[in-house]
Amino acid sequence: MRKISRIKFLIFAVLTAFAVVLAAETLIVKVQTTNLRKEPKFYSQTVAVLKAGEMVEKISTYDGWYKVRTSKGIEGWLHSSSVREKRFSLLAMDRSIQTTASVDEVALASKGFNKQVEKKYKADHTEISFVWVDKMIKFKVTPEQLRKFLKKGKLGEFGGAK
Amino acid sequence: MKAARTFIPALLLAAIILMLSGCAELKQGVESLPGVKLSTSDTQAVIKTTKALRKSFSDITEEEEYYIGRSVSALILSKYNVYNNNAVTRYVNTVGNAVVVYSDRPEIYAGYHFLVLDSDEVNALAAPGGFIFITKGLLKRCVDEEMLAGILAHEVGHVSAKHGLRSIKKSRLIDAFKIMGQETAAKYGPDELSQLSDVFEDVLGDISERLIERGYDRKYEYEADRLSVKFMSKTCYDPNGLVDFLKTMVDDSSKDSVHGWFRTHPSAKDRLIRARKEISALKTVPQKVAVRTTRFKEAVKLLK
Repeated sequence: MRKISRIKFLIFAVLTAFAVVLAAETLIVKVQTTNLRKEPKFYSQTVAVLKAGEMVEKISTYDGWYKVRTSKGIEGWLHSSSVREKRFSLLAMDRSIQTTASVDEVALASKGFNKQVEKKYKADHTEISFVWVDKMIKFKVTPEQLRKFLKKGKLGEFGGAK
Repeated sequence: MKAARTFIPALLLAAIILMLSGCAELKQGVESLPGVKLSTSDTQAVIKTTKALRKSFSDITEEEEYYIGRSVSALILSKYNVYNNNAVTRYVNTVGNAVVVYSDRPEIYAGYHFLVLDSDEVNALAAPGGFIFITKGLLKRCVDEEMLAGILAHEVGHVSAKHGLRSIKKSRLIDAFKIMGQETAAKYGPDELSQLSDVFEDVLGDISERLIERGYDRKYEYEADRLSVKFMSKTCYDPNGLVDFLKTMVDDSSKDSVHGWFRTHPSAKDRLIRARKEISALKTVPQKVAVRTTRFKEAVKLLK
């Protein structure tokens, strides 16, 4: 009898999980930071900046871009390479969309080759300098600089590309 | 009948496991199923099975790729000096990022960054995580923006297709993932950190040996050329810029080329033939625009 109720529960769980997966597609930001853009273009105006682990709801797709809604209700476009799909959302059954990844997700994401491993490597190899690596990371091309450069050089969609 | 009773729950549980493919989510999922009494060891076994799936280069996270790339870059920079000129650096970064946004992988953990190396050697290198280097010698060889874009697009292709990560020996990754899988605390303990640090150094060794000493596998170089043609034409650069550069390398036996490019790249003649073939397969080939050549000459005129 106990086994039958367990089977019933498992059937319910599987069906619910399928329904949840199909109903709400949640995306998780997988890069350090990304711009939520007004239009599906890299040089488009930024409407919000999202950080690694933040979750958004997918509304629609267009040519490698996702139109999404944040937990604060802000809508905009993210490039598909900046997010991964949250493949399982059983937890969403009784909770509204979460703004950040779970503790386990953050722990898992921050494990592996991380800052702590780099710190140990630096301590073991004081002859290797990271000064220029840190400087290099600060080189930024803003969306506006990129737009001007593409436009002046007749590149991208200014040159006829889609 | 008895077998069916055991089989059905097992089958259903397997279906749940398949859906709960994220490891952390799996742990929460398994533990939060009311009415399902899985022993602690069973729960751990299920989680362990999922963790065991992380065993190839493609399972390396964006963040891990970034940290590997940082240290590989530090190693590259221990062998080269930096050509510290803001205007040139800014220009190279802008051309590079113009190609990046039309690449297969425009957004990576911390973005793409380009640096000019103060060397007369003719060379370019791409570390995982988007750290791209071009020597002053190679920059001087370029005559227009298309040629520079072709070289940078080739390097972006290496990052986009994860050629650096593919150079890591499989046994190293298995060792690394095993150590990572053992640890459950938020931070590594001294023993795990020490073990992981050793594997990390081996990983850096695998990549930098390829990148600096031996060069990538021939097939990766051909793939990077193919991607260069693709990214350039999508950006509306004339992909013949890559061909023009390769032409300068055919029959070049100068010391600066032999020490740099030819040590780590296959014959320019073979690459030239393949690149031309890629271009001839394009539906439309974008043309050069004079304004691009003008701004290229303006940007590099102070190059010493």
